[in-house]
Formats: sequence, C-alpha cells, structure tokens
Amino acid sequence: MLPRPLLLLLAALLLSPLAQADPGLVLVVNARSGVDRLTLDDAVNIFMGRYRQLPSGLAALPIDQPENQPEKARFYRLLVHKDLAEINAYWARLIFSGKTSPPHQAKSSAEILDLLARQPGAIAYLERSQVDSRFRIVLELER
Amino acid sequence: MQKFGRHSILVRSAAVLIASFLVAGAVSIAATIVVTGQRQHRAAVEHLGQLLDTVESTVSVACFVKDAKLADEVAQGLLKNKEVLSVAIRADGVDLARSTLPGRLPGEAAGNTQLTRDVRSPFANGKTIGRIQLTANAEVIRHTIRDEVRFVILQIAGQLALVALTVVAVMLVFIVRPIKAMSDGLHRMDATKGERLAVPQRHANSEIGRLVLDINTLAGNLVDALSQERTLRQEKEVDERKYHSIFENAETGIFVVAPDGILTSWNPAFALLMHIPPYEAYRGNLNIRQLPWENASRITELTLHCWLNNVGLADDLTVRLRDGYWRWLHVVLTPVGENQLQGVVHDVTEHKEAEALAKQLAVTDKLTGVTNRLGLEEKLQRLLSDPLIAQTGGFTLIMLDLDNFKRINEGFGLPIGDVILKDATARLSNCIKASDFIARLAGDRFVLTLESLTGSDDVDHIAERLMQSIRKPFYVDGSPVAIHASLGIVVSPKDGADVPDLLRNLELALDRAKAQGGNGYVFFDNTLAKTAEKRQHLENDLRRAMREHEFQLYFQPIIDLAGNRLAGAEALIRWPHPERGMVPPDAFIPLAEEIGLIDEIGLWTLEAACAKLAQWQREGIDRYISVNVSARQIPDGLPAVILSEIIEHHGIDPARLALEITEGVLMVDVNKALTWLDAVRARGFRIFLDDFGTGYSSLSYLKRFPIDSLKIDKSFVHDMSEDSSDRALIEAVIAMARSLGMKVIAEGVETAEQLSLLRGMNCHYGQGYLFSKAVPSEQFEAAASRINELLGHTPGAA
Repeated sequence: MLPRPLLLLLAALLLSPLAQADPGLVLVVNARSGVDRLTLDDAVNIFMGRYRQLPSGLAALPIDQPENQPEKARFYRLLVHKDLAEINAYWARLIFSGKTSPPHQAKSSAEILDLLARQPGAIAYLERSQVDSRFRIVLELER
Repeated sequence: MQKFGRHSILVRSAAVLIASFLVAGAVSIAATIVVTGQRQHRAAVEHLGQLLDTVESTVSVACFVKDAKLADEVAQGLLKNKEVLSVAIRADGVDLARSTLPGRLPGEAAGNTQLTRDVRSPFANGKTIGRIQLTANAEVIRHTIRDEVRFVILQIAGQLALVALTVVAVMLVFIVRPIKAMSDGLHRMDATKGERLAVPQRHANSEIGRLVLDINTLAGNLVDALSQERTLRQEKEVDERKYHSIFENAETGIFVVAPDGILTSWNPAFALLMHIPPYEAYRGNLNIRQLPWENASRITELTLHCWLNNVGLADDLTVRLRDGYWRWLHVVLTPVGENQLQGVVHDVTEHKEAEALAKQLAVTDKLTGVTNRLGLEEKLQRLLSDPLIAQTGGFTLIMLDLDNFKRINEGFGLPIGDVILKDATARLSNCIKASDFIARLAGDRFVLTLESLTGSDDVDHIAERLMQSIRKPFYVDGSPVAIHASLGIVVSPKDGADVPDLLRNLELALDRAKAQGGNGYVFFDNTLAKTAEKRQHLENDLRRAMREHEFQLYFQPIIDLAGNRLAGAEALIRWPHPERGMVPPDAFIPLAEEIGLIDEIGLWTLEAACAKLAQWQREGIDRYISVNVSARQIPDGLPAVILSEIIEHHGIDPARLALEITEGVLMVDVNKALTWLDAVRARGFRIFLDDFGTGYSSLSYLKRFPIDSLKIDKSFVHDMSEDSSDRALIEAVIAMARSLGMKVIAEGVETAEQLSLLRGMNCHYGQGYLFSKAVPSEQFEAAASRINELLGHTPGAA
C-alpha cells in the first residue's frame, strides 16, 4: 500500500490539464458536410466499404492514414478490433471483384488535412490535437 | 419313382429355406435402403455444413459489401462439389447469387435436402446480414444407396447359396438317406418271418433309430395280433362245425327267427316236431306264426318280448298237428345277436301229462277216490274267494266221523275196515247233490261241502239222512255190523273266516258230538270255541306248572283199624294255581292224561312220595305210602324198571310203596296190564285197587289180577249208616277180599259210627276226614299226633 501523500500526488496528476492534452483519435468530417454525429456502425460501414455515402447524402470519401503512421493501426483496432494484416486481407478479397475499394490511402498527414478541407464528403481519423475549426468531430474513438 | 419329387422333404425344405431367405433379404434390403438413406442424408447435411464453414468468411464479406461477383464466385466454388445441386445467397433481401448445377433445373431442388445458414457481419457486432442456402444433390445420395443395396443383395445371395447347399447336404445325409434306407427295408421285409428293420448306421440314439425301434415293435404287435386273430378264426370254425353237427343231429328242435318273424333256419328235429319239410326243401318264407300253435299270439308276444328286452325266455306252448293230436312243447328263446333269436324246442307232452296226473293224485284219496285233505283245502279256498257264494249266503260244512271205527279195524282187520270205508263213502255221496262235495280227511273222517243251503232245517235234514245212511248195517262176511256216526256242522261265513278256522271249528263241533256219546250231530257255536280256548289255557298252565314246580304233594293218613294205629298215607297231588287258587285233581288230571303230561306228573309224584318215605325211614318211622297211577301210565309211562330205580335211589323198601290203580287199567288191555302188574309185584311193590265198587267191579277180574288191597269207594262208606244194603255190600266185599287174601281199605270215613261199624266188620284199614284230611308234608306229624290222641294213644307213644 502506498503512503497517503503518494496517493494524493497520483490523483493530482490524473486530474491535471496535462492529462486532457493526451492524443486521442477522433473521426472528423468537413464542417460543411452537414453531418454532426456518426455512429460506430456508420464508421465501420463507410470505412469497410459497405456504404460510401454520408447520412447527409454526400458521397463519402474515407481516408486512411499513411501506412507507417501508428494512428492507422490504432484506428482499425478501435473500429473493428482487427490488425492491419487482417484489414489488408479483407480488402484483398474485395479488390478482385472491383465492387468497392479500400479508403483512400493518404501519403501524409498534410494530405489528409488538405482533403478534409477540400472535399465536403471527406472523412478521416485524426489526433484530437490536429483538429481545427474546419473540421467537425462526428465520433470520438478514444476518451 | 421320382427321386426327389415335389413333396420330397429335401425339396420342401429347400423351398422353405429360399422363401425365408427371400423374405429376410427383402427385409434386409428395405432396412438397408432406409438406414443408408438416413445415413447418407445425415452425411450430406454434414458435408454441406462443412462446405458452408469453408466459405463462411468469404460469404460474410460478400454479403457485407453486397458483392454479387464475390458471392457468385463462392457459389460457383460450392457447385464444384457434386453433392451440391444449387446455391442461393441473399443479403438484405436481395439475391446476391443463385446458381444451379449446369443441366439441372433449379426447381428440382424442391424436396431435396436443403441447408440454410445466416450470414453474419465479418465485424465484431455479429449482426445478421444475409443468408446462404445449399440444396443437396439427391441423385448422389440415391447412387450411394443403390450401391449399398447392390452389395447387400450380393451378400445375401452368397449366404443363401451356401446355407441352402449345406442344409440340402445335411438333410440328404442325416434324414433322407436313412429314411430311404428304411423305406427300402420295409418293402423287402417280411415281418411274419421275424424279419425286422436294421437301425441305420450312426442312428442308434437318434430319432431315426427310435423310429426304427417303434416300427419294429409295431410290426411285432401286428404279427401277434394277426396270429391271435388266426387262432380265433380257427376256433370259431371248429365251433361252427360243432354247432352245425349238433344242429343237424340233435333230437331237440332248433330254429332261428328274424325280427319279421321269418324263420331263417331250422333243424331236422324241428321239422319233425312241427310236421314241416326240412329247411333245405322248403320253398318260400315260413313265418313263425304259421306254425300250428294253438295260441299264435302267445309265441308272437314271447318273441317280441325277447327282442325288445334282449333277454332269454321260456314257456310251454301247445301245438295242434295235422293228424289231430296235441303236443306240449317247451320253447326256449335266446337272443343270439344281429337281431336273431334262437329257439330250442322240446316235446314235453309226457312230462306235462305226468304232471297233471300227479297233481290230480295229490288231491285225491287213494282208497275212496274222493278228494283228500289237500283237495278239500283248495276247494274251500275257492269257495271262500268266490263272491257269488258269499252273495248267496255262504256254504255249509259237515264233518263226519264213524264212532268207534278203531274197534272195527282192530276187530276185523284193516282190509275189512277199508271195505267199510269205501262203502260208507258211496253211501254219503248218495246223500248229497252232485254239485256238493265230499272229501276224506284221514281214517274214518269225512267232510262234506254243501252249497246253496240256507235254513238250518235243510242242514238238519241232510245230517239226519247222513246218519241214517251210516246206521244201516254194513255186512262183513255176510254178518251185519252196526256203525253210527257223529257229525259236526259249521256254516260259512259266520263260523269261520278262513280255511283253518272252519276246519278247527268243525272239529270242535264234532268233538262235542262225540263227547255227547256219538250218533248225533252238533252245530258249532261260540261256546265250543270258548270251551276249547279255556282248555287250551288250562293246558298251557299245566305245562307251565310242571315246568315251574307248582305241584305239591299232600298226604292223607291211613289207619290200621285192627292195630289201632297210623299205618301210612295216600299221596295226593295238589295244584295251587297262581291265579285260580287250589285246582282239584279232577279238573286237571284228565287233561294231563289227554295231552300226555300224566307220565311226567306221575314220575314227579312218585319222586316226592319216595322222598317222604326216605325221610320216615331215616326217622325210624314205620309207614307206607300209596301213590295213584293213571291207566294212561300203564305200561309204558311207568315201567317196573324205573320204579325200582327210584326206590333204590332213595334207599327204601319197595314194600313201603303201594301203587293205586283203578279198574280202568284192567279194562283197556288185559294182557299188557297183567304183565305190568306181575313185574311190579315181583319187585316187591304192592298194588291197591282204587274206587272199588264204582265201575264194573268184576269179581272175575279180582280173581285174575294180583292185587294186595281193595279200596272201597267213599260213596259206599258214606251211606252205610243209613243204607243197610250198602252195609251188606261192604261186608260182602270184606269177606270176599279176605277169602282172596286181600286187605280192604275203607275210604271216606267221616264219623265215629262209620268207624265202629267198619271195625265191627273187621275192615282192615280206614281213611277219611274222621282221622284227617290230606295235609302238606310238613303238617303230617301234627295230623299224626291228633290221630294218636283220637285213637287213645298218648302223644309220642305211637
């Protein structure tokens, strides 16, 4: 058992503004997309190729983080509890038929932000810290 | 012979075997079809499941993104399996893929096994997003089943062939061949020669072996039965030959008659008896009724009874033969089976005639030719049971007895007696009507039966006539002999209800007529019966008295008048009857004489008297005793030898015993009486003649008979005081006796005057109430003392 002063210290640390500033993935869309909230299912359907349309009727443009960005693996883990190999295998089967395709693979974080800003139907996952007023958070994946 | 025909065990067994295998095979195939079908179905379902498993993730992806192409690829992949007929994949109500094996219609799928599975999202939420349906290819399953069935059929056929061959072989070896061998053996075997079946090898203990033994036993029994049958048949043939010989040669008539009365056979003797041709010569049917029976219905009745009851019967029948004479035939009918009766017929004519003659003789009196007692009794029986006789007032019977006929027989001899009896019979027969009836019972006793008589006048008339006819003299060698008869008469029904009654009452009436002196007739009346009854009672009492020692002996003193002393006593029997009191000897001695009891009574008297004498002798008293002897006792009832024995037994002097006889003794048979008297006197006994003066009192008798003393009857003594003739008579008797060397005893001395008169006549002894009445033995000495006083003695000085 820790001594009382140490426990008090730990509690102070957890409640401090530093903790709120930790990175947390959120799903964001263009602020003009007309979408305020998305459910996790909506997110899965859009990113896994079931639908490519936002609830507002806009064609959805899902965007993946670059392959080497840890956010991508984190995102799919949070979204469908699968690792990237599995995600890749999934898409491998679908690519052949051509009916649908995987989300757009961005080459950099900048491209993501750019597409988000330009394309009204764009939808992507970002660190909370990367979000600004152009974008609207429709789903918080981590809290 | 077919070796293995349709009915051979082998063929039948094989057929049954095959049939059962076919049934078993069919069942087995059906089972195989069902079981294999089910198994194949289950396998198909399982296989389809496995196939679905392999494509599950791909289908789920396809459905997730509704990728028809991917789905079609999956479907095409599945159809590569031959078990799959068609595949359908749907997602969100839309067909993604629907494929069927090429060349097969999708509709075929209906009815085949289908497997449907939900398709779930490939992602975590697991929501159902579509459905996949597989239809199994039934053709494949059917193929598999067909293969299996074919195998099963082959297997069963192989087994059947093997088992059938085995069974046929086993049956051939173990059953068919032994049976065939037995059958062949039986065909060759001659059981009567003792041949028997051999037990097939290795079958000693099997069913076949036992069957052979059973057959051999049966053969043995059959041979035995046949041999017995043969023996019986031979015996029967011998019997038949014997019977035939008897039948042909018997003197007895034999016939056989069928139920319709037709004679089916008769022997020569029967033909002779019946005066018919021999059976062999007779043409046509002869019915038993056509024989010359006097009473044909009787023979019909006999044969019917014999048939109906199946019993033998016999009867005597008469036949009237053609030449007009009668024969008696004894016919015995016996059932001999098959409804035939055998009759045996004897000629019994002679026997019958002899029988009739004997019967006639039995009721006829040989001497006179009239009916005898037996015939009379039969006749009376008929009269009594004839209702007509009873209505017309009954009938009258007269019993007639010739008086003193015994003397005729004794005097002239039996032949003369018989002539007189015949004559008498003829005379009596003439006195009665032809319808009346005369019978001779015995000796000179006749009974006449008079019918249709009413008044007693008629009877009186006939009775007189009968007596008159007997009273006419009979002539013996030219000399007339006078005979008369006594008659007793009874009238039926008043004088007796039955034959014995009537005859007894007849005798009572006749006895009364005789008792009245004969030569008269007496009608029976009830007083006769009552008298007879009283007599019967007395007789019974008398016999009882003898048996029960009721008699007593009294003694009346006899006084020596010259010696003036008590000389002895007369023994007198007394009978104190238990009901009637003292019965005097007069009332019972005659009856005792009549019924023959007198000998016994006489001996008892003698014994008692001798006992008294012995007592006196022991006491030194010198007295004698006289005992009365009945005429009936002489000579056989009291022989001299017996007298001596009694005397010797008591050890007394015979001279002290005197025997008192009456003149009657001397009257019956002089010679016998004399012989007895001589014998008795020779033994030292004395003889007194009792009641002298009352009977014939023939002086010549007195002279001829050796008598010691006379006893003058009390009637003379009683009257002697007044009647001088009596006195003279007594005096004469005393004088006569004295001259013959006899003593005289006066009886009934009652007065002193009589005593003094008798003394004056020099009478030797006296006896009477003057001295003493008869007293019992124990009172005698008291009486003796009184007499001594009377005679002037001092007591005890005698």
